[in-house]
Amino acid sequence: MLDQLGNGLLLGIIISVASVALSLLYGVTRIVNFAHGEIIALGAIMASFFSNLPTSRYIFLENTSPLGLSFEISLFLSILICGLFGAVLELFVFRPLRRNEFGNIAVLVITIGISIFLRHLYLIFASSKPQNYPLDLQRREQYFIFDLTPRNAKIIVYGILIMVLFGLFISLTKIGKQMRAVRDSTELANISGINSDRIILYTWILSSMLAGTAGIFQGMINDVRWNMGFLILLLVFAGTVLGGIGTSFGAMIGGFVIGIVVQVSVALPFMEGHTEAKNAIALAIMILILLVRPQGIFGKKERIS
Amino acid sequence: MKQRKRILLGLFLVVFSIGMIYFLNDEGPTRILVNLMTFAGIYSISAIGLNIHFGWTGMLNFGHAAFMGIGAYTTILLIPHAAGREGSINEEGLPLFIAIIIGLVASALFGLLVGLPAIRLRGDYLAIVTIASSEIFRLVVRDQENLTGGVYGVISFSDIFQNIRPKFLEDLALNLDVSAGQLWVATVSWLMVILLILILKRLQNSPWGRALRAVREDEDAVRALGKNAVWLKLQSFMLGASIAGLSGILLAFNYGTLQVEYFVPLLTFYIWAIMILGGVGAISGPIFGSILFWAFISETDQIAALIFENADGQQIAGVRFMLVGLLIIGLMILRPSGIMGKKEELLLDVK
Repeated sequence: MLDQLGNGLLLGIIISVASVALSLLYGVTRIVNFAHGEIIALGAIMASFFSNLPTSRYIFLENTSPLGLSFEISLFLSILICGLFGAVLELFVFRPLRRNEFGNIAVLVITIGISIFLRHLYLIFASSKPQNYPLDLQRREQYFIFDLTPRNAKIIVYGILIMVLFGLFISLTKIGKQMRAVRDSTELANISGINSDRIILYTWILSSMLAGTAGIFQGMINDVRWNMGFLILLLVFAGTVLGGIGTSFGAMIGGFVIGIVVQVSVALPFMEGHTEAKNAIALAIMILILLVRPQGIFGKKERIS
Repeated sequence: MKQRKRILLGLFLVVFSIGMIYFLNDEGPTRILVNLMTFAGIYSISAIGLNIHFGWTGMLNFGHAAFMGIGAYTTILLIPHAAGREGSINEEGLPLFIAIIIGLVASALFGLLVGLPAIRLRGDYLAIVTIASSEIFRLVVRDQENLTGGVYGVISFSDIFQNIRPKFLEDLALNLDVSAGQLWVATVSWLMVILLILILKRLQNSPWGRALRAVREDEDAVRALGKNAVWLKLQSFMLGASIAGLSGILLAFNYGTLQVEYFVPLLTFYIWAIMILGGVGAISGPIFGSILFWAFISETDQIAALIFENADGQQIAGVRFMLVGLLIIGLMILRPSGIMGKKEELLLDVK
């Protein structure tokens, strides 16, 4: 159970970062973004493309080998690319849709189309073979009660740091305050002189960068696959809904809980030999929470039925 | 557009795409056409079910694949079959007809089970809950190897269905040089499509059908008129789910095996693409939608060959699904009412 707790913490951090990003985007734009998973995968795949050596066995597209940059630079570049991609999505897809007053069901279906399109673009670009980053193997060590490799421990520390910084950004900076204002009411924000289009653009960039970071973390503890985004997306949804969609703090906690539930459930007696079904438990918990508390644990009571 | 113009447009597109199949394939176009029409028939049935959920009642169901899967698994496991790693044979079973009825009821009950917690939720929440429950279904089926065969699937169940194939189909299949088994599945599927459309035409203008559409337009007004909106939604959910179950059963008979990987969320999105293409809310929309969709899909090899020299299977699959994604995006932006749908009947905003 205890060694699973370390893994749970790790997965919890990753889902937490991704859930915060999804929740922020939903709060500000009211978009349920099914393409969120693909932005997560974009971060992971770009990092693999930048960091693996040209001589490695991974081939991108036809006859294009990876670039072999140092891992730190690759991280930086991939997160940057995710941010840029978020900006492109907003400027060329979602802003025109908003201008033409597309309903949110139409937008939701469009994000599904984008997700299917991107996922299979990755299949062509990165092939269906799982990839790994060029990182050396590490031995597990004892941290408090957790058994983790130093690298995974670092992921947890960085993940917590990212979320603390995000919390400070949202609550203290001017842009953060404006984001919250747009989240509460776009019209009122516009009236009080906030350029809501610009704030929504920043939101897309920030959300995509966080998603890309989560993807790189996931690639580090597991491997990089073309469809990894969709595999993790439902857990991210579960985390977001559990904490209360649109809330930042709630999504953080929700993501944590989902990650820990998924990993710890493996150690439950009735789950012996059924580890492949572990995600089902997290999804079932999400549905049960919606049944008793539809707005999520930390969500504000709004009419959602 | 007037109704007649819409039908003409649909017919023109169908004839055009079938013509393209004969034009683009030198070898065995008839075989390709029969394969295409079989899938088109099966997917039409599923899209008809989804159309009741979304087109009529306005519920965002993204777990349609699970309803298909429940129907398929229940029916197939009740008739003689072989399942699992060792392919352990189960010779005893119920008669086909009774097994199918139980399969349809099982789908409807699963719809009720998913619907009970989810139906009160707002549209986007319903989308998340339905897609989550379809994944739960898939993970549980994968996991319960003793019962469902897990990843090894179920085989050797087609005989009971193929044994009732009429004799004249075999002669026809021989003449056309296609598989008689598939021709039989195609025939049954299209008969079912016609039957369903006749029933739904009656239902659409019945008091019940009108009440469903009223739920889509304004749930509070329905409540104010003394109708139980939640129960109406549940009934719609169950009806659509059991129609999906029928399509799942036919899908299994068409493949001849039953694998859990048929029922991935991508299948749901296929059905959505078909429904939107045909026209949300239009009863006959799924027919046009699925034929066009499958004609479009079956020509992707050629499109992939334009992009890549010697495209391999992975690239063809990649290009195919990218096109499906683009189709969904393009339709939603340019023509959300599809070929047959009416704009004023389309629900695009969560209430």
